Amino acid sequence: MLLDHIRNFCIIAHIDHGKSTLADRLLEATHTLDQREMREQVLDTNVLERERGITIKLHAVRMVYVAPGGAEYVFNLIDTPGHVDFTYEVSRSLAACEGAVLVVDASQGVQAQTLSNLFLALDADLEIIPVINKIDLPGAEPARRQEELADLLGVEPDSILLSSAKEGVGIEPILEAVVDRVPPPEGDPSAPLRALIFDSFYDQYQGAIPSIRVVDGAVRPGMEITFGAVTDRYEVTEVGFLRLGRVPQPELLPGEVGYVAAAIKAVSHTRVGDTVLDAANRAEDLLDGYQEVHPMVFAGLYPTDTDDYEAFKDALDKLKLNDASLHYVPETSVALGFGFRCGFLGLLHMEIVQERLDREFGVDLITTVPNVEYKVLLTDGSELAVESPAALPDRSRIESISEPIVKARILCPSEYIGNVQKLCHDRRGVFLGMQYLDTERVELEFELPLAEIVLDFYDRLKGGTRGYAALDYELLDYRVDDLVKLDVLVNGDPVDAFSIIIHREKSYDYGRDLVRRLKKLIPRQQFAVSLQATIGTQVIARTNVKAFRKNVTGKCYGGDITRKRKLLEKQKEGKKRMKQVGSVEIPQEAFMAVLQLGDS
Amino acid sequence: MSLPGLLDPVALDAEPPAASLIRSVYVHAPFCARRCGYCDYAVTVAQTGDVAAWLAGLAGEVTALEDEGLFVLDSTLDTLYVGGGTPSLLGPEAMAGLGELLSYDRLEHADLEWTAEANPESLTPEVAQAWREAGVNRISLGLQTFHEPALAWMGRLHGPAEGVAAVENIRRAGFENYSVDLIFGLPERLDRPWSDDLDGVLRMEPPHVSLYGLSVEAKTPLGRSVAEGKETPASETRYAEEYLEAAERLTGAGYEHYEVSSFARPGFQALHNSVYWMGLPYLGLGNGSHSYLHPRRRWNVSDWDEYVRLTGDGQLPMEGEEVLEPVSVRLERVWLALRTRRGIRHDSLPAEACDLVRRWVAADLAKCDAGICRPTPLGWLSVDRLTLDLDGVL
Repeated sequence: MLLDHIRNFCIIAHIDHGKSTLADRLLEATHTLDQREMREQVLDTNVLERERGITIKLHAVRMVYVAPGGAEYVFNLIDTPGHVDFTYEVSRSLAACEGAVLVVDASQGVQAQTLSNLFLALDADLEIIPVINKIDLPGAEPARRQEELADLLGVEPDSILLSSAKEGVGIEPILEAVVDRVPPPEGDPSAPLRALIFDSFYDQYQGAIPSIRVVDGAVRPGMEITFGAVTDRYEVTEVGFLRLGRVPQPELLPGEVGYVAAAIKAVSHTRVGDTVLDAANRAEDLLDGYQEVHPMVFAGLYPTDTDDYEAFKDALDKLKLNDASLHYVPETSVALGFGFRCGFLGLLHMEIVQERLDREFGVDLITTVPNVEYKVLLTDGSELAVESPAALPDRSRIESISEPIVKARILCPSEYIGNVQKLCHDRRGVFLGMQYLDTERVELEFELPLAEIVLDFYDRLKGGTRGYAALDYELLDYRVDDLVKLDVLVNGDPVDAFSIIIHREKSYDYGRDLVRRLKKLIPRQQFAVSLQATIGTQVIARTNVKAFRKNVTGKCYGGDITRKRKLLEKQKEGKKRMKQVGSVEIPQEAFMAVLQLGDS
Repeated sequence: MSLPGLLDPVALDAEPPAASLIRSVYVHAPFCARRCGYCDYAVTVAQTGDVAAWLAGLAGEVTALEDEGLFVLDSTLDTLYVGGGTPSLLGPEAMAGLGELLSYDRLEHADLEWTAEANPESLTPEVAQAWREAGVNRISLGLQTFHEPALAWMGRLHGPAEGVAAVENIRRAGFENYSVDLIFGLPERLDRPWSDDLDGVLRMEPPHVSLYGLSVEAKTPLGRSVAEGKETPASETRYAEEYLEAAERLTGAGYEHYEVSSFARPGFQALHNSVYWMGLPYLGLGNGSHSYLHPRRRWNVSDWDEYVRLTGDGQLPMEGEEVLEPVSVRLERVWLALRTRRGIRHDSLPAEACDLVRRWVAADLAKCDAGICRPTPLGWLSVDRLTLDLDGVL
């Protein structure tokens, strides 16, 4: 196949700006799928993705486009995930393309993800095809959006296409623009194989199957392949491209996009960004840009019912086959029993994993307060990465603690600037600047500790802007700050599940609030129970749960027995779910209420 | 008067009593002249009880039960208890009618305990006399307090003097066995003088005292005013102090504190209530009443009109029933055993339970004597908690 006739591109957009609908129209217009095969948003196959309207896993679809002059082109449409948690994966799928269709909603205009995705696409040197979508909707302002985009991109307003993917308007010009503007791929068919992995999925019969973009050389069945970051060798059993299913081919050549099946054990062997190599003729240079994916957010996950531990472990193992970015190690909590400390790319990733565990595997979970990974410099000069408050060494051994700082970009209507400023200030943010996108919308930039974002920042942000704000962030660096470990002692015994690493200035309010809430949730015992929040040996908040004095010492006649027994049985159920901490019984509800998100 | 095994300590590992004939009957008299603010019983407000309708309903129920053949009365009864409601509102004739309905053959023997509840304002000398003649030999009087403002707050229809007069009427009619109800734990703003009330009761020297803590039930006028913040129940400290003071003074005066809420002179324990606490079978007649014959417990419709309609149609006025699972039987037994002075035999407890009991003793929640564990009054204050702890280690 001639490289001249291949176009590799993606569609980038803010959530709900119409990316998936446009992809559907392109598939229809190129007769890739007939009407019978066509479903709404065919690229989003995962149920969760459909419900949330976002793409979690990447897909690539091959189409054949016949240009008005009769020439045939092979289009590879590479779908990208649409969320900040998956920035690295986005960057790798962009690296597999030469062009990007940038979709902007005609009424909403440029949004936070529009910008972050655009910057990623420009970083990858992609040719941008700007499209104003949803021009059919009331409230659409195509002319204004054209001006805005032209300013942003430094192009002529009339080079910006208009479409309504929903109505099928303006599709043909987009296809023509892909041919005219997106450069054909380059590559050397006679060089040793180098192919970029931009996605990987797990097939229970054929193992992990990477999606690849061949850069040099060729890959064909029977060949032995290996990887840049993983030394295992695998014999290729099948190559091909994706349409509605997999379409086997004799080989994949430079510029082509497709898949490789080679009975690979797990998706952790086919890491996004890694280079596929010919084991017999290994290329000297790997493709640029590979990074180990590093989790940013951590939380303890515990089965609600301790008997579910094995089932939970199985579920995580199975999920991991499909999700290389999920990390987990066993963890034991005095309060919650056996569970796992899990690492996620971000909060959305965490939610997705929780929901998949619940829906696909039926595991009911308690999730502890999420935290970030801290870097701890010890007095002996060594450094330690700490992703759980329990793992923090004794204070006397700590020289300093540093935490991840992100650069956050927040877009919101200008009337909410004050609220956003206040929220970010409360969250230890440093204001970097702001810029009006138009008279009504403004983009604010802050440096924020990631730890402040993982604790219900997004909900607060939405709350303070009536839902209009959009947030995007990227990791900047690690910085030392006055971070301390706050413990909660119940009758003098520390309860590990309540410990948290927090900035000293915020620890007092947090500690007071926490013991106050616990006081309400811990039932009174036969003796008074003291609750203390401490930093080291310093008590920063305390309260007492008074001793239990009485039940109702009422009458007990024939008619009271059943009713009373039922009350006792209910209490008995509650008691069963109590965790014994020292001499104190703490109901599971107390852990849940304190630990779970969104209520601090 | 007594019951076999009445004073025996409980062996928690013993088999439940085998199904047998029923020797104890509760009859509900649903009428009250006025509903008290804290009451959540099956009560119909009426100035006088409709005795004819009441007896007709009971007769219909007895016939339906005989047809069914599950709850069968023995040829003699040990106990008969007429509760309410306000049985004394039914007037003088009702008890004789009830005796005939249940058949005097079952009732005319020296060991029967036949109790009827009464309120001071309706327990006239005529009623007391007629009941005595009908065979009633024990009266449970809803005295509650001698404190006028507290009686008014509760919505009671009698004053302090009528309480004293009612006890006089009971004695004059020849009743040796009677009980007075005392309520404690009233809202502190009423300034109810608890010690004075205890003095008053002790001066009367009744053979039996029942001591009830005011409980706030959600669906009562009291429950609603507490929920709306208009009324503040007694603090737990006050509640506990009153209970412990009563226990100390009554025990000091020679009463045996033989159940959480019950105090008796020797030989005057309430036998009918003891049937409940011992897990023996009983039949409940009337709306809202419960029956138990191991392992089955059932309860009647609580609405009076519904009861009249069903019994009039020859149907059982049953609302629901349950067959107790062994785990529920055990929980009830632990709970009821802990409520009484009979105590629990150590040799029926596993080792872990013995450890628990030792902790109770150390905390003054129970006492152990001759291999038998009995809660102290302090322990009785939290008997539900003790029950759950003990049940948890069986």
